[in-house]
This record gives sequence, C-alpha cells and structure tokens, in this order.
Amino acid sequence: MAGHNDSSASEKKSSEATNDLPTFNTENMQSNMKIIYYSRTFMSIIGGVIAGILGFTSLTGFIFYFLVMAITSVGLVAKAGFSIHSYFGSWNQIVLDGFLSGLMSFVLFWTYPFD
Amino acid sequence: MGLGFVVGVFGVLILAHAAYSTVQYRGLLKIMEEEFSGPPMNVVIELLLGFVLCMWAALTAPGKFLSIHPYSEENRIVSLPASLDFMIFNHRGKALPLEMDVKLKH
Repeated sequence: MAGHNDSSASEKKSSEATNDLPTFNTENMQSNMKIIYYSRTFMSIIGGVIAGILGFTSLTGFIFYFLVMAITSVGLVAKAGFSIHSYFGSWNQIVLDGFLSGLMSFVLFWTYPFD
Repeated sequence: MGLGFVVGVFGVLILAHAAYSTVQYRGLLKIMEEEFSGPPMNVVIELLLGFVLCMWAALTAPGKFLSIHPYSEENRIVSLPASLDFMIFNHRGKALPLEMDVKLKH
C-alpha cells in the first residue's frame, strides 16, 4: 500500500496537468470557487454602475458586460499565476462560473440609479 | 485583506462621486434643453480610476487561491492526517471476546 502511494505521488509530481485519476483537495477548490464568485459579483456590480453612469443603452450595455467579465477573467487568470490546473479543475470554472448571476446584478445596477 | 478592502471602498466612493456629478450634469442639460450624449471628461477619468481600483480590490480582497493538488508543496503539512498511511486500525477491542455467537443464538 505504501509503495503504491509513493509511486502515485511521484507520478503526480512528474505530470501535474494530466491526471488519470483526479484527486483534488475539495476544501481548497471550494475556497477558490468562493473567491471567484466574490470577484465576479463585485465586478458585475461595479460594471453595472459604470455602464449606468456612461449612459449605455440596450446592446452596448451587454457588450460592456461581456467586456468587463473578460477583463475579470484575465485578471483572475493572472492572479492564479497562469497555472490554472494547480488551482482549478478546468477552464470553465474560471471563465464561465458566476456569469449568469453576475448578469442579474449587472442589470440591476445598470438600470437602477439613473433616469 | 485590509489593504484591498480599503482600496475597494475608495473606488466605490470615487464611483459614487462620479454618479453624483453625472446626475448634476443631467439636471443641467435638462435646464438647457439639450440631449445627453455622454458624461463630461473628468467623470470619464473618474470612472476609469474607480474601475481600476475596484478591479484591484476584487482581485486581492477575497483572499489567495489555494492549491488543489493533494501532493503539492503547500498542502504537505495540511494533508498529513488525511493520508492513508497514517491510519491505524488496531485497537484494544481486538483482545475482547467476540459477541457474534450470542447474537446468533438470539
């Protein structure tokens, strides 16, 4: 049993990106997801406020939202040190997670404070 | 945590000031009966500054990413109790007589 674990450990160290049997530290992954969620929600709120102040209407505002989310994704990737697979399972988690819920708060703050 | 949070509050304050300036500008335009095409230049600069500050706060304030690989350098000490090699299945209950026969008779 010990020999098996040692061999799998050395295998993991040699090839970190491609795991045959993905065993992840779930607590740390959930903490990472929570960080992503916080960042996206805050940035969508800020983006909504900015789009409202700039007076964007209809399609321009949604394009602005996509732009803000793209910038946030790039920022998160840069925060992870460009090594996604040591902090997340896949690219979807860092690029797409929290996109729709962020859209809700974006629209709320986009249309809320201005006439 | 602390510095990022303060920067975020500062960015939100800058955005609030920009919003207030825009509301006043719109009121002025209504009086002068002109159309709103875009906010004035200083408001745009304020918006950019607030956006950058809030971006920085959003990326730093929630905390650091933690590695999810159980064998990485950061997780070495934390994952020791979770390792199967340190589990012990022997205990003194082995010396006690088994009660399985009693249960079977009932």
